[in-house]
Amino acid sequence: MNRKVISIALVVFVLPLLLRLIWFFPGFYSPHTVATPDYANLKLPEAPVSTPQTDQIKQVGGVVIIDNAHSNQFQPGEIQTLVDALGQRGARVELNTDTSKLESQLKYASAYLIFSPYNKYTPGEIQIIQNFIGRGGRMAVFTDPTRGLVIYDSVGTPINNIPDTTEVNPVLEPFGITFHGDYLYNLAENEGNFRNVYFESFGKSDLTWGLKKVVLYGTHSLETDSGLTLLTGNDKTFSSQTDATPNNDSRQGWGAAALDKTGNVLAVGNFTFLTPPYNTVGDNAVFISNIADFLLGGTLKYSLADFPYLFTGTPVDILPTSNVQMTANLIGAVSKFQSSYDATNTEIKIVQDSASARNLIVLGTFSQADDLTKFVKPFNVTMDDANDYVELPGFGQLGKTGNAVLLFSSGDNGNTLVLLADTEDDLITFISNLSSDDLSSCVLQNDVGVCSVGAGKSFSTNTPTPEGTPSGAKPAEATPTGTPTTTPGS
Amino acid sequence: MSRFKITGEEFRRSLWWAIPVLIVGLLVSLVIPRPEIGVIQLSDAIYSTTAADLITQITYARQDPNIHAVVLILDSPGGTVVDTEAVYMELARLRETKPVVTWVSGLAASGAYYLSSGTDYIVAVPSSEVGNVGVIGYLPPTPMIFDDTISTGPYKLWGSPRDTTMREIEMIKQGFFQAVTLGRGSRLKIGPDVLLRGQIWPASEAYHYGLVDQLGSESEAYDQAANLAHLWHYTITDLYTASGLGKSADAAAGFFQQTKDGATLPYPSEAGIYMLYIPALPNLEK
Repeated sequence: MNRKVISIALVVFVLPLLLRLIWFFPGFYSPHTVATPDYANLKLPEAPVSTPQTDQIKQVGGVVIIDNAHSNQFQPGEIQTLVDALGQRGARVELNTDTSKLESQLKYASAYLIFSPYNKYTPGEIQIIQNFIGRGGRMAVFTDPTRGLVIYDSVGTPINNIPDTTEVNPVLEPFGITFHGDYLYNLAENEGNFRNVYFESFGKSDLTWGLKKVVLYGTHSLETDSGLTLLTGNDKTFSSQTDATPNNDSRQGWGAAALDKTGNVLAVGNFTFLTPPYNTVGDNAVFISNIADFLLGGTLKYSLADFPYLFTGTPVDILPTSNVQMTANLIGAVSKFQSSYDATNTEIKIVQDSASARNLIVLGTFSQADDLTKFVKPFNVTMDDANDYVELPGFGQLGKTGNAVLLFSSGDNGNTLVLLADTEDDLITFISNLSSDDLSSCVLQNDVGVCSVGAGKSFSTNTPTPEGTPSGAKPAEATPTGTPTTTPGS
Repeated sequence: MSRFKITGEEFRRSLWWAIPVLIVGLLVSLVIPRPEIGVIQLSDAIYSTTAADLITQITYARQDPNIHAVVLILDSPGGTVVDTEAVYMELARLRETKPVVTWVSGLAASGAYYLSSGTDYIVAVPSSEVGNVGVIGYLPPTPMIFDDTISTGPYKLWGSPRDTTMREIEMIKQGFFQAVTLGRGSRLKIGPDVLLRGQIWPASEAYHYGLVDQLGSESEAYDQAANLAHLWHYTITDLYTASGLGKSADAAAGFFQQTKDGATLPYPSEAGIYMLYIPALPNLEK
């Protein structure tokens, strides 16, 4: 009885407890371990090992003009590595801060650099640039998506972003290159951030020589219809405008640098890679070096009208021919003449042998000399000591007295300027006049010029006249046969 | 069986004592408390003050045996990295013993999604916004020296080199990505190429990407929490009040920039590294 009662009592007592437990808890939560990120083993992404710069640098000289007249968004320090690379090659850098001086600066320039411009280029400026490239000058255009002009509202909210590609695309349009107003990114493989994109696919060019991996730290994409894409992203490199590869085709990659079909215009969608410490990441240093070589590697075509900027880059040798004695006065005149080439960063020196010279200024008189013949023969100039005139195609018979002759030829291996006068005194006067860039007393016809050296001892009142022009007519009014070219500044 | 056979007389007699025993049993059963689901609400950015409040509530939930599950209600753009990670790690401790369900009532962006990815289940209002996985930071200035300010090292004034800061941000992003992949596991339907774009999605789309588990209401979040905790009947407890937190000052005004006329902007007031979604403001200039 007692056991029965106790059992029933126990059941009656526990039942409400069980029912309440079951009412609330049909089961029990099992404690378990929760995995969290392995914070201790997260590592800072490291930049790829940098490669050394090329050590064989040729001294080529030249002048590089940097555009600073279009609200260009760069600081000098940001491009210093490129400026240094140009300096290592003997080149000098000049800023163009006044667009009215662009044409005159490009006359003696090897290359023209544009960084992130925000002012429009006038059609006239674009034409000047086209002419420069047409003469064989080189241009590099750098943009950068971090240089967008951000417009803020009154509370500081960014409401618009004008990319730095807007004003530069019209400059590149004649060369078949177009920047996009985007930026490229790669979430899968990058250099510390999605916008720092690796480029491991290269177009075949001197500009990409020695490159295996270039890193651009925020770059616009670009395209070229007729040129060569130099840097192409991989199938994980997307444009911010589409979040995809070009045409959504993974076989295509976005370009970030291109060379136009003439091989004289380079466009790169970034210039942060020029700035330390990014200039030494991957093969960026090699790329910068290649760009410097490219900028100074153009072959500019000159005509006599470009005087005194007939030579850029390599040193210019002055060769007195055997009929000229290097007197003190002549050396003085030549020394003064050298200074007229300061703007072109050209080294001028007197030599006795032209064998190794690429650029040459030949000094001679109208008297015959074997070492002079090879320089005047291509111009069909006839000089006979027995005559008091020389025969100059296009000018006819030109009196020796009081006149001097300029002959200019441009070749792949260098340019040659021949200066001829009747006597050494006339030659000194002639060189002195040229030293002040003064061709106002000259008549130019293609690559031949005839100048008055009236200040010389053998001064003649007869001004030089082209063939068929009455003697005594003013040079500027003369109408030589063929296509005349006016002198600079006239 | 015959041993427990009870006659009618015995039954009548036993009622005299069984009923009181039953009453006692019923009374004693009341000692078993009704299980509670704690509610933690975040309707602000994650910064020092809100993080401290969150940690207080999480700790309370972990230590109170009557709290059997927690629902984290989020309407937040995220916040500082350090505060987000601090709360995330406390949540991880809580989850070892009690399930945690997130209900996204409006926004679970960046650091707020970091927190939600560290819970067992995510319920979201269909039009709420979810995602923005990633980190933003402001690079320090290039080191410089001043005439009348002397420091003992090049980065004493600036913290670290700009390049290092950039890489630190990337490293923090890796931690964020790990947190999401660990938390979501096989439920995550998108890879890093999509997730790490930092995009924010409506929950109805995020659901298809596996960023949330269910589109639903607050009560459905409670039901899910109860289901995970194996509860049939429960009460809801506001952990802010239960944990003894008083009404906090509006510290958000210090976290976000403010205009001169007192309007709060979505930008943090101090340079730093954030898991923060900064929505675009309406263009008032047009």
